Amino acid sequence: MNQPLQNLSMRPLEMDNEFRFSDEELILRFQKGDEQSYVELVNRYRDRLINYIYRFVSDIESAEDIVQDAFLKVYTHKHYYKQIAKFSTWLYTIAGNLAKTELRKKKTRKVTNLSQIGPKDKDFELPSVEPETDKVAQNEYIEKRIQIAINKLPLHFKTVTILRDIQEFSYEEISKIVDVPLGTVKSRINRARLQLQIELKDLKIGDSI
Amino acid sequence: MNRYQFEDSISAYLDNDLSISDRKLFEEYMNKNIDAKNLVDDIRSTLKSTKNFSNIKASKDFMPNLFKRIQFEKNRPVKKIIEKPSKSLFGFTPLYATLMSILVISFISIGINMWPQSILMDNSASAFTGDINPPNLNIKDINIKSQPQVLVSKEAKSDSSDTTIINKKNFRLNSKVQLVKDRK
Repeated sequence: MNQPLQNLSMRPLEMDNEFRFSDEELILRFQKGDEQSYVELVNRYRDRLINYIYRFVSDIESAEDIVQDAFLKVYTHKHYYKQIAKFSTWLYTIAGNLAKTELRKKKTRKVTNLSQIGPKDKDFELPSVEPETDKVAQNEYIEKRIQIAINKLPLHFKTVTILRDIQEFSYEEISKIVDVPLGTVKSRINRARLQLQIELKDLKIGDSI
Repeated sequence: MNRYQFEDSISAYLDNDLSISDRKLFEEYMNKNIDAKNLVDDIRSTLKSTKNFSNIKASKDFMPNLFKRIQFEKNRPVKKIIEKPSKSLFGFTPLYATLMSILVISFISIGINMWPQSILMDNSASAFTGDINPPNLNIKDINIKSQPQVLVSKEAKSDSSDTTIINKKNFRLNSKVQLVKDRK
């Protein structure tokens, strides 16, 4: 059971749905010493978590580092997980806190990574909105504009917007992750969406999606 | 429905969380105001765009790097602190136990000092074991004048900084005071 990590399969376990362990079962198995369960959890959440953190820090390298930190914490603090909450809630709370710490450090450091260069720093030709235009390029442009608008939101609005509108968590799960009442979550999401529209007032998305 | 109520209800409307009556009011307001309708449509479009955001995949080095970091954590030499085996008293270390004892004793002594003096004096009468009646004296004849008696040492008379002066309190026994042995 306690094989070195490198010897374990990095690929996700190919399980039929009926035999697929839940996240909570996997973490319990990991707490008892089954490291393959840990690898399975990493495989399940790796990409989702990188996407979540990327929306915070707008830098892929930093996002990967933070996600690795989060999984490292899960490994070293596995016994801190109690079955009161879902594993995803616990994991996203850890990752979210690490992302917020990184944002605070960034504010004091004022360093721009090369991987952060966005549309403002290089020549970007605005695609035409004519029907013949490549939709992929158009969607990329829209995505970047929305991401810039999300970055301008206050942190508590940004967090709930990313969790609800991008990661598609339910209101109840978001309430547990950010540790605020359900009503507050709904109110924040509503106000965040209104504020986002003010930032995007000149962007006509329309039928281009 | 006013503008503020409308804006507060937008997310609930898009999530189909409004009651039938609230939904009706919302749609009535929206249909009467073009700006309100445009706002709802824009938010709906933005939400649709966010669902189509590109999915970022982890790099190929993600897992190997993670495993390296975990191995490093596992193999990191932990500082061994050699602690002297400490004897604990009811779970307290000796230092802690001493400090707690001092605190408890302090609280008790402060409490005794702050206790009302009258209660102490009533209770202290039974402790007196001396004989208050000298053999050949009639107590009723005694009339102690209320003059403060100041005891001053010989040295203090010449040295003004001496603080050994003791002032006796004034007291007088009157006829109302009747001692136990005189009752007949």
